[in-house]
Formats: sequence, C-alpha cells, structure tokens
Amino acid sequence: MPNLLEIRDLTKRFTSAGGPFRKARSMHAVNGVSFDLPEGRVIGVVGESGCGKSTLARLILRLIEPTSGTVAFDGDDLLAKSPSQMRKLRARMQMVFQDPYSAIDPRYTLTRAVAEPFEVQGVKPARPMAEEVAELLEMVGLNPGLASSYPHQISGGQKQRVGIARALALRPSLLVLDEPTASLDVSVQAQIIGLLEDLRSELGLTYLFISHDLSLVKYFCDEILVMYLGRVVEALPDTNAPARHPYTKTLMESTFEPDPKKRRLIAPLEGEVPSPFDLPPGCAFADRCPRASALCRTDTPVLSTDSGHAVACHHPI
Amino acid sequence: MKASSMTARTLDTFARMSIGRAFASGIGMVAGGFLILLVLVAIFAPWIAPFDYAAQNLMNANAPPGWPHLLGTDEFGRDVLSRVIFGARTSLSVSATAIAISMAAGMTLGAAAGYFGGFFERAVMTVVDLTWSFPDILIALIFVAIIGPGLTSTTFAIAIAYLAQFTRLTRAQIVRLKRETFIEATVNLGANPSHILLRHLMPNAIAPVIVVGMLAIGDGIVLEATLGFFGLGAQPPTPSWGAMMSSGTAQLFLSPWVIIFPGVAVAVTVIAVNLFGDELIRALDIRDRLRGA
Repeated sequence: MPNLLEIRDLTKRFTSAGGPFRKARSMHAVNGVSFDLPEGRVIGVVGESGCGKSTLARLILRLIEPTSGTVAFDGDDLLAKSPSQMRKLRARMQMVFQDPYSAIDPRYTLTRAVAEPFEVQGVKPARPMAEEVAELLEMVGLNPGLASSYPHQISGGQKQRVGIARALALRPSLLVLDEPTASLDVSVQAQIIGLLEDLRSELGLTYLFISHDLSLVKYFCDEILVMYLGRVVEALPDTNAPARHPYTKTLMESTFEPDPKKRRLIAPLEGEVPSPFDLPPGCAFADRCPRASALCRTDTPVLSTDSGHAVACHHPI
Repeated sequence: MKASSMTARTLDTFARMSIGRAFASGIGMVAGGFLILLVLVAIFAPWIAPFDYAAQNLMNANAPPGWPHLLGTDEFGRDVLSRVIFGARTSLSVSATAIAISMAAGMTLGAAAGYFGGFFERAVMTVVDLTWSFPDILIALIFVAIIGPGLTSTTFAIAIAYLAQFTRLTRAQIVRLKRETFIEATVNLGANPSHILLRHLMPNAIAPVIVVGMLAIGDGIVLEATLGFFGLGAQPPTPSWGAMMSSGTAQLFLSPWVIIFPGVAVAVTVIAVNLFGDELIRALDIRDRLRGA
C-alpha cells in the first residue's frame, strides 16, 4: 500500500518573546517526529498528557505551522501549499476532536452543522442537501429526526457522532482522531469505537488515532507510536510486539488487567516528566528510567529500527 | 437553501425569542411598552401633537399648564406638549442613528482586531482607546468646529463617544470565541476567514453587543440633551429636549413647566431604556460575558 502520510523530522517549538523582566523561552512540543502512515492502516499515538500528541495532530493537518520538518499527504508536500490550495485539500483530511461539547457551533442545528462542509468547500452533493444530511446522520448511527435539534439538546456521545458525520461529509481519505472518546463515559466510548471501526471498513479510511489509553490503542490500531516529551521513543510494528523501551514497558504494565490471576506487580515510575522548556541533555526519560546509565544523560538516543521495530534507547529491553 | 437566508432566519428567531423573554417580566413589560409607545409617538408626532411646534403666540407666552395648552407654553407662546412630542423625534432619531453608526463601526473594527490580532489589533485598539480619553463634550466641540452646530455634529459626536465601548466588547468576544473547538473544526473543513468571521464568530458575539447598544441609546439621549442644552445640537426652531431645557433656564422660577416637562421626558425615557436593557441582559443570560470588555 502506498503511504498516505509521510512525516519527516516534524518539529514544533513554541517560543515566548523575552522582555526586560524575563528571558525568551522556547518549548519543544514536538521534536523530530518521523513516520509513514500507509493507506488503510491505523496508527495509534500514545503518551501521557503534554507529550505533544495533540500538537502532532495539528501539525499534520497544518492547523498550526511546524518549526521544521515536512508533511507529505498522498505524495504532496503540504507545507508548500498556498492557503487556498490548503483549504481545498482539507476536504480529504479531516479530524475528530477531543471535546465534542464545544466542537459544534451552539447556534447551529445539526442539519446546518452537517451541511457546513459542503457549503464551505462549495461542493454540491449529488442528492438534495436534506437527504444527504439524513444519510450522514444515519451513517453515524443518529436518528435523522434529530436533524433540527441544537447541540445543547443532544448528549455528549451524540455530539461526537455529529462531529464524525461532519468530518466524513466530504469523504476524506485520512481521519485524525484526537482522543475522540476521552471526554465520554465508558459505555459511550465503546459505542464510538465500534462506530469508528465500522466506518473504517465501510469507507476504506486511514486513521491516525491519538490517545493516552494504551489498551484502547492496542485494541484499535495496527501500529503504535509511543511518544515521550515530544519524541517518538518507540514504534511498535504490531500491537503484540513486546515493549523494548523501558517507558513503553511501564505504560503496558500499568494498563488494567481484568483477570486477577494475570495481574502483576506494577513498578511505579519515580520522578516527574522534565519541563519541556529546558530539556535535559541526553534521554528525556533518563531520570525516571531504571536502566539509565551515564551515557543516557549525555547522548540523546536516536530511533533505530530492528526488523520493523524502532526504539530510541541506549539499553533496550 | 441559501446559507445567508439561513443565518438571517436563525438570528431572527433568536432575537425574537430573547426580546420576547425581556418583555416577560413586569418591569420589562412596562419599560418596553413605554419605549414602543414613545417610538410610535415620535413617528406619528404630526398627528398627535395638538399644535404646531413652531407656532409662536407672544400674547400667550409663559402660560401655565391648563387648557388648551396642557403643559403650558414657553417664552414665545409655543405649546410645550407639542414641542416635547416633536422633541422625542429628535432625541430618539439622533441617539438611535448615532448608536447604530457606532455599533456598526465598533463591531467591524473590534471583530477585525480580535480576529487578525498582532500589530493591526494594537493599532486599532490604541486609536479607539484614545477616543475614550476625550470627554464627550470635547469631541462634540471638535465636530461643531469642523462642520458647525447641528444634529449631524451631535450624531457623530455620540457615535465617536461610544465607539470604544463597542469595539472593545466585540474584540473581547471574538478573542474568547476564536479559541473554541468549533472554530478550529470549521477551519479544518477548509473554511476561509470570512466564513469563520461572518458565520461563526459574529453571530456568537452579537448578543452582548446588542444589549450594550440598547443601554447606550439611553446614554445617547442624555448626551444629545446635554449638547442641545449648550446650543451645540438641534438648532431653533427644531425642538429637542435638551435645547428646550436650556431656553427654560431663563424662566426657571417664572415658568418652571418649560424646563420640567422636557426634563421629565429625558429622565423617564432613559430610565425605561435602562430597565429594559437590564431585562434584556437577563433574557439573553449574558451578564458574565458583558464583564469581559
């Protein structure tokens, strides 16, 4: 399968201007991220809060401009596109947002919200708009009778379905899912995940799935990227691959195991995530890592691949 | 279905809904009812006023309230009631026109400043804040000096005096709304800036601006009366509540009705506007958002 996305060395530094009373500071949100997303695959990005997952999603869709690096979508260099070319291209790469509660304009009815992608792109659907909207609502499992409701009249799970319908209206090939279930309760999460799975096989979509929930990512994705403080520390080629990075290992051990016989002792991580403002030299995980050596505190490990399994660690497991 | 008519219809329903709710309380009904009555009086002044507002009768000058001059006559024997009725025209139209101009300009500037940010925002806000540092009377004097006394000067002076308020309020709304997820989501659909501004940001920002506009009309009436009082506004024989009070000061003790009735008209109107504005704030439930400016 050809690559739908090719990300190379994508970096975003947020800088705050200095003044007479404070120094200019810069924060590495995303640091040299590279990966390929082949058509039809689902890649999961996991990491704890603040590791740059959401920033990465926005960089890929060019909702924010990267400091350096390249993003190629279907072979096209996105960063070379003019604003109007970019607007056209957006029809093919959509996003589902973390917070469904504020993802729809409170003054828009569902009809208007779901018809908006067509309006914005100047696309006329093949059938009458009302039919098209009803079809899209049905596709995401909503009763078309809700079409004239306002967002405040429907539940969080229903709002997220509307968000998905809006994203799919223009039949994109790439869908970036930024923690699409994080603000929903557990029973609704399962429904949304089920819906996303069905839509993928039905419409042949490619997903980039961002989450902090490793068990969900393991269930949902084909490949997993583990991020720590803006860097990809491990790329698991399939969900059953054993962790090679100590951080991934801790993450995997900390997922909840429903069978008490299989539960094991979890070694909790010591220390805290270093501030992204002044990154320590060497491996960002060194201070919390049980395997860290003197080398880890001076040299930053690079992502090196061994039979499809990439890890950025001097002492991999 | 056309998108523009969709927007218009949503706005319309929304406005009817909330203005309807403002009338729901007792105070809202009385204040709103009075304002509607006042507007009708202003529109139909020539049919309602018992006398010609400019007709002089020196033989019957300074007549106390009675029959046929219900509110008495002024120093030229003109009917005070008729002049108060025609004065409503001047006061309401000048204030409403000025506030409409001010709102339109303030919303455009504020929205552009809030949306585009950066140097443009700082430039606009600095200039707008500068107008705030001049007393209203001084602004009016500048216009009088340039285009002469009259209602045009008054209108522009009031418009400039309230520009900063509308600009700041709109900007604050836009800056807050810009960070909402639905804006990012719409950008991601491929929407251009004008779609974001006109279809999402402005419709969501407009409610508090309308309320402040409503309240500003009350202040505008006072300002118009003040300028009229100093002879900078409506020129004789056009009746204006402020100018009537000004001419009445000379006979304050001899014929107090000349100054009292236009004064009462200003006071009651402004109180009604403010009370109705308060009800509107409650109906739209936007007290918190008004504090943002």
